[in-house]
Amino acid sequence: MTTINIQSITYKYGDRTALSNVSLKLTERRIAIVGRNGSGKSTLAQAICGLIKPDSGKVLVNDVDVLNDRPAALNTVGIIFQNPDHQIIFPTVAEEIGFGIRQLGASKHDAKTRTVEVLKRFNRMDWADRPVSNFSQGQRQLVCLMSVLAMAPKVIVLDEPFSGLDIPTKRALQKRFVGLEQSLIHITHDPELVRDYDRLIWIENGEIAADGTPDAVLPDFLAAMEAADAGFDL
Amino acid sequence: MLALTSDIPTPLHKWSAGLKLALMSGAIVTLFWLKSPIYLALAAVLTSGLYLSFSVYFARIGLSMMRPLRFLLAFILIWHVVTGDAQTGIAIVLRLSTAVALANLVTLTTRLDDLIDVTYRMMSPLSFLGVSPKPLALAIALVVRFVPVLLTRANQMQLAFKARSTKFPTFYIILPLIMSVLDDADHVATALRAKGGLDGAYKP
Ligand SMILES: Nc1ncnc2c1ncn2[C@@H]1O[C@H](COP(=O)(O)OP(=O)(O)O)[C@@H](O)[C@H]1O
Ligand SMILES: [Mg+2]
Repeated sequence: MTTINIQSITYKYGDRTALSNVSLKLTERRIAIVGRNGSGKSTLAQAICGLIKPDSGKVLVNDVDVLNDRPAALNTVGIIFQNPDHQIIFPTVAEEIGFGIRQLGASKHDAKTRTVEVLKRFNRMDWADRPVSNFSQGQRQLVCLMSVLAMAPKVIVLDEPFSGLDIPTKRALQKRFVGLEQSLIHITHDPELVRDYDRLIWIENGEIAADGTPDAVLPDFLAAMEAADAGFDL
Repeated sequence: MLALTSDIPTPLHKWSAGLKLALMSGAIVTLFWLKSPIYLALAAVLTSGLYLSFSVYFARIGLSMMRPLRFLLAFILIWHVVTGDAQTGIAIVLRLSTAVALANLVTLTTRLDDLIDVTYRMMSPLSFLGVSPKPLALAIALVVRFVPVLLTRANQMQLAFKARSTKFPTFYIILPLIMSVLDDADHVATALRAKGGLDGAYKP
């Protein structure tokens, strides 16, 4: 079982508090995080992966201090960003996948073999030397998923991975995600996607507004979004 | 995001990155040693021939990678013509464009991870001086990787500017361009950190 232990995290951008004393203990396999824009979801995602240093508090994933023990964090947590262009560093698919594997200590040769395995698993053998620049947004997101899976983390954090994707692409990717053996923490705007998840956490203003099963939390969340809708103007 | 490594296969793709870098360095040193525009023109013709021998399409990609240089080259040429030294002007333009074309040829036919590995190995002797090769190798690779991205961004901003103004954009987009590049740098840093960054075990 994977345990994510978030211990009273506070995070500030300058004097703007993005997360305020958030504590959570997560053991479920399918966890959703919802909340309006700017509520602190991405900040929480980056903290869970040890990418940012909170002003106070810490995150332990399976007892790994993901912020300070980076080598151990690498095959403990993986993240897929909202925008694949912010994630993909290398020009071709095989390089992007291979880099992560080599960062775990594999030799160039082993990394190549394991890259081929990942591509095979997704039936995308022909992608190896293709430049990512010619890919659609959905294909890029799949490249991100493959490179994260290649590092075999225990938990994968998805930070709104479907923005800008059309409905069929979204469904196809969601199928991939839900089929994963890893624990998922899925940040989303789309309540429909996470109805049958094990747990749903609603974040508001950097704090936890509600936490429970989707059935218990979603009605209130949707009502709050509708209410906000009434007087909302850009 | 611009493609660096071309997916049009050429025999050069199979050569080792180290060999290509060594040959390129040798060729560029020779270019700077040549003074006569005739020899330089010959070098330019040979380089173009090399591109064309792979395919016309490949040569066209090579040519489009030279586009960002066109104003600089034109400026150098005009400057020298005006100051009455056209011959030097032509020599500089030929030398510079051939050198860039050769460097591009290496980038077009070399995978970025191979480039990182070569740089890593070349920098390794420096570890005696306390210089760690990994940050250097990654930094150089990132520069190679993101220069085309930067140029594309500059182009997009020029278009966005032109769509709403009749003025010449160059001066107006410099600050926004810097901001957006800093923003990109931030994203790349996060992406790199998510993959272990300098704490990762990557070795050539
Ligand atoms: N790089 C940053 N610099 C300053 N403020 C930021 C930065 N990133 C996010 N914020 C602010 O922090 C708050 C939380 O942002 P974020 O975690 O991205 O929210 P969400 O992902 O839920 O939309 C927002 O008020 C946002 O404006
Ligand atoms: Mg976000």
